This record gives sequence, C-alpha cells and structure tokens, in this order.
Amino acid sequence: MKKPVAILGVGMTKFGRITGRSNTEMALVAGTNALKDAAVSPGDIEIAFCTHCNQGVANGLRVFNALGISGIPITNLELACASESRGVFLAAELISAGAYDMAMVLGVEKMPRGMVPTGGDVSEAGYEARMGLTMMPGAYAARVNRHMYLYGTKREHLAKVAVKEHRNGSLNPNATYRDTYTLEEVLNSRMIADPLTLYMCSANADGATATILCSVEKARQYTTKPVLLVGWAAASPVYSKDEPGLSDSPVDLLGKKVYEMSGAGPEDVDVAQCHDAFSPGEIFVLEDLGFCPVGEGGPFVWEGNTEIDGNIPMNTDGGLVSCGHPIGATGGRMIAELVWQLKGQAGQRQVKNSKMAMLHNEGAGGANVMMFKA
Amino acid sequence: MVTDKQKRKVAVKGGIYKLATSPGEKDYLIGSKCTSCGAHFYPKRAVCVYCYGQDLEEVPLSDRGKLWSYTIARQTYPGTLLTPPFVVANVELPERVYVTSLLTGVDFRDVRIGMDVELYFFKVTEDEEREVFAFAFRPSSGQK
Repeated sequence: MKKPVAILGVGMTKFGRITGRSNTEMALVAGTNALKDAAVSPGDIEIAFCTHCNQGVANGLRVFNALGISGIPITNLELACASESRGVFLAAELISAGAYDMAMVLGVEKMPRGMVPTGGDVSEAGYEARMGLTMMPGAYAARVNRHMYLYGTKREHLAKVAVKEHRNGSLNPNATYRDTYTLEEVLNSRMIADPLTLYMCSANADGATATILCSVEKARQYTTKPVLLVGWAAASPVYSKDEPGLSDSPVDLLGKKVYEMSGAGPEDVDVAQCHDAFSPGEIFVLEDLGFCPVGEGGPFVWEGNTEIDGNIPMNTDGGLVSCGHPIGATGGRMIAELVWQLKGQAGQRQVKNSKMAMLHNEGAGGANVMMFKA
Repeated sequence: MVTDKQKRKVAVKGGIYKLATSPGEKDYLIGSKCTSCGAHFYPKRAVCVYCYGQDLEEVPLSDRGKLWSYTIARQTYPGTLLTPPFVVANVELPERVYVTSLLTGVDFRDVRIGMDVELYFFKVTEDEEREVFAFAFRPSSGQK
C-alpha cells in the first residue's frame, strides 16, 4: 500500500485577462501564496514541477528562480488540461516512495486569444484540422449528443450545470466570470457546437496556481492537522473494442483505484471537483465516479444534487466554466478549492463538515483522479 | 491553356484516402488491417494497439456506415477549408473504425444518430494546376 502524502500549502492568483501581468509575475504570486500557506522557505523545496502548455521552453527555470528556488531538479510538464494534477500525481509518487520529502508543483498559463487549436498550425495539420473538423468543442459535443441519444439526457440538464457553475463563480473572488445566468439565458446563449452554447463552455483565462506536498512525517513539523492526499490514479486514453476509435481516459477505472487506495466510497465524498471544460462534463464524471448510475447524470444534476448544499457539491468555486481555463494551472485551482473546503476556509462557498474531497482533472492525453482527506 | 481536364487531382492530405487515377478505379478511405489479429484502424498506423503486431496492411475501408454521433460546427479556426455552419459526423464503418467527416445532404434538424450514410468525394478547392478533393458522407441511397 502506498503511503499517503501531505498537502502542506496551496496558492493561486485571480484568474482572468489582466493586461500587463506576465507569466513570471503570476507565478510569483501563486508560488509565494503557497509557500506562505505552508510556512516553508523556498530553500526547503527539494523537487519542483512547472506545469504549462504554452509558456515556452525553460519556463520552469524562469518561474522557480523568480521565487528564489534553484539547483534542485526542476522539470517542465505538459498534459494539456490535466498537466498540473499530473505534476501533483508524480510528486506524490516520489514522496510516497520516500525519494523526496518536499515538492512544489506550480502551474502557470498566459493564454492566447480565440479558440485553442489542438496542436500546431492549421496548414501543417492533418486532414481533419485542415478541413475544420477538429474545432473544439466539436468532439465533445458529439460525445454529449451520443449521451443524449443513449440515455435521454436533455439540454436543460446540461444548462442546469452551467447555471450552478456561474452561481458558484459569483461567490469566488478568483473566478474570471462572475455573472449569474438563468437556465433560459444559458440555453439561448450563442450556439458553439450543438448542443453546447456559449455559457456552457469554459473560456481562456490567464492564471497561476501552486501546491506544496511533503511526507506525512515532515508535515508534522509544520502542522498538527495536515490535509492528506490519500488516493491517486492516472491514465491515458485507451483503445476499446467496444467503442470504435480512441475512447477517453478510463475515468471509471481511475475512480475505482482511488476508492480502493483511500478506503472510501462515493458515499464518503463530501465535496468534489471535476473537469467541466464544458458543463456536460460534470454529468459524465458523476456517472464515471459512481455518484449516480450510468445514464442518470442528467436527472441527478437537475435535482440539485451537485449544488453547494446538495449531496455531492461539485465545483464549488465555479469550475472551469466560471473560473476560466489557464490550461496548465487548472489542476492546481481544483486542489486549492478542495483544500480550502477541507480546512473550512472556503467562505461563502463552504460545504459544512467536509472531510473527504475528490478530484477529477482531464485533458487531451490523460486524466487524473485523487482523494483528499481532512 | 490549362483546362479543368488537365489539372491534377490531389487530396487535401496524403495517406488518408486514395483518389482513383484511372477509369474503373474507385476513390477510397485508407485503413490498416492487422494481419495477426484482424483489427482495423483508421487512419492507417504501423503498430497494432491490441496485439502489438507490426505487420499491418493498407486496405480500402467500406464506403457505407452508420452515424455514431455528430455536432453542428458553428465556428472554425482561421485558414480551414470548410465554412461553418456544417455537420461534423462520426461515422462508424463495419470494420469497427470511426471516421470524423463532413456530413451533407441533410437538413441539420433531420440528422439522426443511427442513420445510414455513404461516402463520397468532392472538389473542395482548386488552384491553377490542381483540383483538391476531400471526402464527406451523406444519407445512404438505401441500396446495399
């Protein structure tokens, strides 16, 4: 059995398009906040990961040096939208195995304007990209349409999630988008790729987040009540003979691994974060992680189960939809919100008596699932 | 003087589909078939993901399938060949591969998951020397 790991500190910047705020400035804010939260000195960090997609070669060196950290192994890590949680996964494996005692994972992204292409210049790209068939959220929308066809999921269900994300985001000073919308406003907002409308989609934002992890023994030097990371699992998309082509990452299998590792079940989870790049993502993840039966995610969210005062509060900070999506820094935002929930520091968004928190972060190339315990 | 007949017929990108070069030949989508376990793949690949075999042969794929899912694209990136709005279809072929394709010949409101569709090729753009052909699917004419 793998030894649990302590989350000693978290930090983040406000997310959003704030002109004149450089990648390094954002990293300095997030990193300093995490170091202060952990009450550790930059000199105590033994290994570091900088998670990002678009910040260029050697970005890790730049941002960690700005924080005063140098000499130790600093590695840049990219896994699209799941970069930062993958960084935390790897840091946890290293600490749990006894290879290092304290690690820092810092995610930072200054995003370009407009749609995010799935790789490279269109003129260099494959057939589908050149035609215009790979637009986001096209592939996602097709998956949603399939779910609606198989299970009778309704557009109203998809919109209900977005209403919740935006309402939660209005309670979060760090979110990019803090307006609230009615169900009708979400359904009637501009159609991007049927059935996904504008207010169901997350948008680009700049931001940085940081997490400091250490061994449980080391954590006792700093706090009597560390938040623990008690389960973690990661995977890449799989080929399945049951479904044609490359399926998504096997989130249901990751969920099972994490439940087994942490000795908990879906009924024990008090608060959670899932990857809602598009609001229907919540419906898929609720089913994959066993919070409701497969096919019933739509009615489950419609009944309010994922509200802050619901059975399984999901994305209490507004998720990707409301916070915005600085790609390499999104995993850390999820971790920060869950840690704040477990420590009773989530203010207006606080879920009462949070003891167990679950995370799902997914991107092109993989997914990570984690369980945290107060 | 260059007439349309003399222009070269080319694909948007090589290796995805083969355009007929002489009468009697058919255009087709290129797939891979693993000679060890029989699995098919699209687009073609060098290593089988199920048995790790490296003897994959290029095969023409079926030209009829079923609509597995779809969306209606309302915006694209700059520089793409298609202009929105258009239907992006995921077509499942009998070989158990799925092809992402343009879907035409049907009103957006009438697209249904499970509908029978057939492959065709069309000129998507041209320049002085070449006619560029792409592929799409449309509702099946019903004959097998």
